[in-house]
Formats: sequence, C-alpha cells, structure tokens
Amino acid sequence: MLSALRNNILPLFFIAIFAISFTTDAYSQYLINLMLVYVVVAQGLNLILGFAGMFAFAHGAFMAIGAYVSALLMNELGLPYAVALPMAGLSAAAVGCVIGIPAIRVSGLYLAMVTMGISEIVQWVLRHWKPVTGGTDGIGVASPSFFGFEFSDDFQSFHIIFVVCAVMTILAQFVVRSRLGRAFVAIREGEIAAQSSGINVARTKVFAFAISAFYAGIGGSLFSLTQHYINPENFNLYQMIMQFCMVIVGGSASLVGPFIGAAILTWLPELLRSAQAFQEIGFGLLLIVFVIFMPRGLAGFLIDRNILPRERFSRAPRVEPEQRAAPPVTVERT
Amino acid sequence: MMEIATLLSVGVSNGCLYGLVGLGLVLVYNAQGIPNFAHGELFMATAFAAYVANVILGIPYALSFLIAIAFAAVLGMLVEFLAIRPISTNRALGRASTDVAVVLSTVGLMITIKGLARIPWGDSVRKLPGAFSTETVTIGSLVISTQRLLIIVVAAVLTVCISLFFARTSLGKKMRATSQNITGAKLIGINTGHIYSATWGLAAVCGGIAGVLAAPIIFLHPDMGTRMLLKGFAAACLGGFGSVSGVFVGGILMGIVEIFFGRYLATSMMDIFAPIIIIVVLLFRPQGLFGARRAVRV
Amino acid sequence: MNPLLKVEGLTVRFGGLTAVDGARLEIGPGQIRGLIGPNGAGKTTLFNAISGLAPTSAGSIHLDGVDITAFSAPRRAAHGVRRTFQTVQLVQSLTVYENLLFGLHTVAGDPLTAFVVGRHARRMAVDPDAVIAEVLGYLGMTDLQDRVVDTLTIAQQRYLEIGRALVARPKLLMLDEPTAGLSPAQLERLDALIARLPADWNVSILLVEHVIPLVVKLCDRITVLDRGRVIAEGTGAEIENDPVVQKAYLGERLDA
Repeated sequence: MLSALRNNILPLFFIAIFAISFTTDAYSQYLINLMLVYVVVAQGLNLILGFAGMFAFAHGAFMAIGAYVSALLMNELGLPYAVALPMAGLSAAAVGCVIGIPAIRVSGLYLAMVTMGISEIVQWVLRHWKPVTGGTDGIGVASPSFFGFEFSDDFQSFHIIFVVCAVMTILAQFVVRSRLGRAFVAIREGEIAAQSSGINVARTKVFAFAISAFYAGIGGSLFSLTQHYINPENFNLYQMIMQFCMVIVGGSASLVGPFIGAAILTWLPELLRSAQAFQEIGFGLLLIVFVIFMPRGLAGFLIDRNILPRERFSRAPRVEPEQRAAPPVTVERT
Repeated sequence: MMEIATLLSVGVSNGCLYGLVGLGLVLVYNAQGIPNFAHGELFMATAFAAYVANVILGIPYALSFLIAIAFAAVLGMLVEFLAIRPISTNRALGRASTDVAVVLSTVGLMITIKGLARIPWGDSVRKLPGAFSTETVTIGSLVISTQRLLIIVVAAVLTVCISLFFARTSLGKKMRATSQNITGAKLIGINTGHIYSATWGLAAVCGGIAGVLAAPIIFLHPDMGTRMLLKGFAAACLGGFGSVSGVFVGGILMGIVEIFFGRYLATSMMDIFAPIIIIVVLLFRPQGLFGARRAVRV
Repeated sequence: MNPLLKVEGLTVRFGGLTAVDGARLEIGPGQIRGLIGPNGAGKTTLFNAISGLAPTSAGSIHLDGVDITAFSAPRRAAHGVRRTFQTVQLVQSLTVYENLLFGLHTVAGDPLTAFVVGRHARRMAVDPDAVIAEVLGYLGMTDLQDRVVDTLTIAQQRYLEIGRALVARPKLLMLDEPTAGLSPAQLERLDALIARLPADWNVSILLVEHVIPLVVKLCDRITVLDRGRVIAEGTGAEIENDPVVQKAYLGERLDA
C-alpha cells in the first residue's frame, strides 16, 4: 500500500489538486494556478540544468517569448488559445535552437554569460519595441475561449492549466526515461564517454536547449493567463532566480523536484509579503543554503531516505531475467 | 571636435571602470574556474560602504576610500570562505554538479546582498560626493570631470601595480601557478585555501575601487551592481580573460564605442551593447582580442 | 584474410609536437593485439586516435574495409568500435542496467529519440532486455542489475565498462589499461575474461597495458611504441627478446 503510494506520487498529486480545487477561494485558486505554471517552467529548467548539467540563464527570456507570442497571437490575430499555446512553446523552442547551436560550443562560465546576455537582450527588446510589445506598459491578455465558452476567471483557467501541466509532466517522464534523458545524464557526467557510446553530444545539447525552452514558452503562455496582463518586469532577473531556486530547493535530476520547489516557492513569497528586499534575501539565502547543505534538493533528500523512489531512467519495469548457466568467469562479490 | 574629446573622456573613463570590474571577474575565473555572479554586488556594497563612512559618519573622503577598500577585501574573502569553499570541497558531488552548485551559490549571493542593501537604501538613489571639491578641470580646450580623470589615473596605476604583483611578488606567482595547475600547485606546497582567499579579496578590491570611484557619477542604488556585472563581463570577454592589460583595453574599447553609439544612434542602445558584445565575442572569438587560442575552460 | 583493423601511416600532431608518427598496425579478426611502450611513447594518443577522440593529422584507419579516418567518435561507435577508459567512465548515479543501455544507444530505442545519435543510429532487431541479461549473465553480474554504479567495487565497474561495450556486439573492443587499480587475484580473473572474449563474442581486441607479463601471456601479437613510432611488432616471445625493445624500456629506466 505504502509502496503503491510512493510509486505513484505524481498522479496522486494531480488528483489531490483537482479535488482541492472544488473548495478553494479565488486567491488560493490563483496561487494554485501559479504553482502549476511554475511546475511547468521548473520542469523545463530541470531538464537542462539538473539532468544535463548545463548552466543556462535564459529561461526568463524563453518564458517571456512564450507569454508575449501567446498574448499577441490572441490579441492581434484573434487566434484561439488552442493555437496560441503551442505556438508559444514552439517559438520559444525555435529561439532555443537558434541560441543553442552556437552556444553549445562554449561551456561553463561562457555558456552562463551568453545565456545571460540573451536574457538581457530579450528584456531590452520587450522594453523598447513599443509598437509590438507595448514597452514597459505591457499588454493585456485576452481570456482563452474554447467552443464559444470563455475561460475568464481563475477557476476556469485552472482547468486549462491543470491539463497542460499534466501533459507536460507526462512528456517530461517520457523524455527522462528515454535515450534522450539518459543522454542528458551522460553528458553531465562525462562527455567523452558519452561520445564513445555513440551519443551525438552537440545535437543532444541543442535539443536540451530546445526542449527546456519549449517548457518555458508553454509556461509563459500559461503564466499570462494567470496574470491577465504582462510586462517585461514579469520576466526579469528576479523571476529567473526564483526558477533556479525551485529547481535547487525542490531537487534537480528528479521529476518530483520541480513540484516540491514550485509548491514551496509559490507560497513562500506570500509569507514574505510586501518587501521585495525580504523576498530577495529569502531566495538568495535559500539558494546558498541548499546548494551548500542539500545540493540535491528536497527530492534528493527524500530519495536518499528511501521515502521517495529513485528516479528511473528506463521504461517499463523489467521481468527478472532468468539465471544463466554458471558463467565462465565470475566477478567478485562485495 | 571638443565634443568628440569630451565623449572620448567619458568613454575612456567608463571603460576603465568596466576594466576594473572585469578584472575582478577574470581573477576569480582564472584561479578557480568560477564565474562570480555576485561580483557586481561587491561593487555596489563597497560603494555603499564608502557612502556610510563619508556621508553618514562624516569621515574624510580619503580615509573613507580606504575603509571601503578594506571592507571590500574582507567581504570578498568572507564570501569565498562561507559560500564557495564548502561547495568546492564537497567530495560527494560530481564535478559537473559542483560547477553548477558554485555558480548558483554566487547567484544566491548576488540577490542576497542586493536585498540586504535594499532594506536601508532601496527607496531612492543617493549621491556620494566626488573625490575633489572642484567638479571639472580644463586641459587645453577640453573640459573633463575631475572624477573621471581620477578614474583613468587610478586605473592606469592599478594595471601597472597588478601586473607587477603577478610578475614579481611571491604571492602573485603562487596565484598564477595555482590558476594554471592546481594539482601541481598543491604538490609544491602552495596553500590553495590562502590563494583563493587572496584572489577573492583582490578581486573584490578591484570591484570595490571601481564602485567607490563610479558612485559620484552613476549614483548609488542597490541595483547598480547588476548592470556593471554585464559590462565587466563584456570587457573581460573582449580582453580575452588572459591578461590584466587586456581586460582594460577591452573595457576602454567598449566604453568608447558604447558612448559613441549612445550619442549618435540612441541612448537606449547603450544598454544593449554589453550583452551583444558578450554574445558575439564568445560565440565567434572566445579568446577575445588578445587571448591566445586556448581550450575553453570546460 | 583481411585484417579487421588496418592503421597506416597514422600521424597525430598537437601544436608543434608530433605525438604519433607514421604508426602502422593491423589486427586480424578474433585477435588480441597488445600496445605497449615506455611512458610518453604515445600509446594513449594512438589509442585515442583510433577510437576517434584525438584528431589524425595524416594516415588512415580502416575498420572491416571501411575508411573511418574522418569519422567522429560517435560514428565509429556506431560502426563497431567500442572502448573502455583508464579511469572508469560510467555514469555513477545510474544503475548497472541503465549504464548498459548506453551501450545500446546506437542500436535500440524508439524512433522518436533516434536523433540523439544522429544518422548513425542503426536499427537492429535487438531486444535490449535480452541482450543485457545475456551480458550480465556472462559477466556473473546478474544480481547487480539494479545497483547504482557508485556502490560497486572498482573491479565490478571495470567489468561493467566491458559489458557496456559488449552489448553493442562490437567488432573492435579497445581496452585502455583495464587492470589499473586491481589486486593480483582480480587481475588473474580479468585476464581469463579477456582471453575468452574473442571466441565468445566474435570480437578483436586492442589492449594498452603496462603490466608486461600480462600482455605477453594474453596477446597474439604486440606492437611496441616509443616516442611516437612503432619500433617493434611481433609475438610475445619475439618482443621479450628484442634488443630494440629492451633498450627503449631499459634506457628509460636508466635515465629516470
């Protein structure tokens, strides 16, 4: 029974969230929506930062691209949300590819700086390209509608956000348990051995950019639904650091980590209310403390204590292989 | 003609600041392979330290300057000891995870220090008075701000001093040895812990000097550090991360081009210049203008 | 019979330094070839050049008739060149099973993720679980299947690295100082394993080693490198008695 609980923690989470949504007030609903949005963004960041070990600083920018593309497609072109949402993800992914292709030639400090530079440039474009982005005034976000029904308040947009979050989680699970997920980990641990096993490292890294940008773009589009109005300040340095916090506090290299991180870091600012200063100090200290004392985050901690199952990197559970006849050579036992 | 000269003086002095900040980044990166995202905040914190000493406590400028520099050195060493060393000496992490962890630690420091400064001083910008009571000086037909002149002079002196430090002093040579080959350095008995403290202290001092010199011109505010960080990185990229003078040349180049862009194209373009330089240089000529073609530090 | 691996005139230059100069090497099918030489002879460089991790400045490498000189390391892996490393390069945080899956990267997996290996992915009718079970059984490591690698001993990790190569049914298996860090007893067992591999797995082996008696006992033929050049080549007995080889080793010891 307990084992069934452990192994299905994510589906249970979704069921619980859905059940709770019948009883929440508007403000809590808003926070739940926000948390689910952050789960999506954190999943994407986790894929490139936690699993692939690549230090990419550009996710605020990808999120912004997703949010603005989604809002503009609906506002200016009148496209339905069902089109705007995937377009948000795809356009962010496209930019991710474009950045990724040259960026993977550099690593470490250089990758961090290039991606930070890109973040700044996107911010600058958002602030100065007034005719399109509204500059620092930002733009309003139309409510999505499906089959003529408008999803205008938080309770209604919850359903959209919930479904998208669930789908993106299933996708993340698919990635992690496939060749791609294993390739990410191999790249993190040693590119040379990865190459010698046949992994095309450059291609895999570009894809890491693209897929994590896709997540950020989708997250950005969902984010715009929760805010109803977006401006460049929503996607600034502070936002990026919060995302990093989610991945580190929650636990990198684990699918459950982003959930833990998003949950804690959505509700934490509520406790630390008003002063931006206190929020900054809070996030900063969280990052430092976790990185020193609990580098694999809360998920890592729980996995080490056997409370959570270890992250699997292969598909369906295997049937125990039959014992073969006595082998010609025996490796020694520990 | 006079306008060009003025623009040049502004550009060169800005560039010297970028070079100073960039030098701090280069020092830490060369020694430990760590991109110090908190460096801009050291710049900012030292400027505020000078403000507290001079404006609030009324200490004379020169002494305040020295106090601020001492503050910077201590802060830099403290940061390294408390927030960086525990991670890089943690054997339990894989190498890639250690790299990511250390960078994130500097990111966390960045925002913590910024938040701490915001509590007392977040509401408005403040002014630190310049080093001299006369605002400007006239050389020939050129009117130049005395503060800017000071910046250029200090930067020049520092470049020479630091180059000599690395070439001639025992500590400097040990720092170079450690940055080139850490195992070798340990083998010959260099206490790498001391080296790291010294490196971070020196880097913080560079950034701190820039902060105190810059404050009268750009005004004090908790967010002043992050902008400087990018520009410092850009200067370091142009210079190629290898030589002390390279960073300054890179910074000056950047300062000049930036101001001319701003004057003749649009002021808004100035902000975007640093990130563009970073991206273009790193992607197309990672060794910068002066660096030798060396393996990118992986 | 055509050689499986044919290396001709292979030269590797770094900056101004010539690490390998005109090396020539041939390995027949099912053979075990040793590669030895004093320190700094260029063994590692030559080894890396054949596996694709060091660039060749001149010369050619043919595997089973195919010119692989210009192939990248992943592409050579897809063509049947697999190797182990002096310091074991496994993904420590994953399990034995998952590490073995890496060996199958180029041959098995869903079409959706085939791009991870690029166009060099081959589609073979391979059941990953069956292949992995077979290799684990052969190595006597079946019950270690779900153990995380960093809990294994160094000997077990070395076996696993060989296993990762074997699951791909390579044509050429390159072993880079596989005995480093093993006790004499472990060395014996590993020796026995390597001796059986060509017959059991239809693979040729290129072995770089420092332990000379092991190389002499195990290898069909041995190539000796000194200062980047092949100075001798022959059977174990021939090499042991070759004065040129002795001078290369002894000369080095005298100078040390």
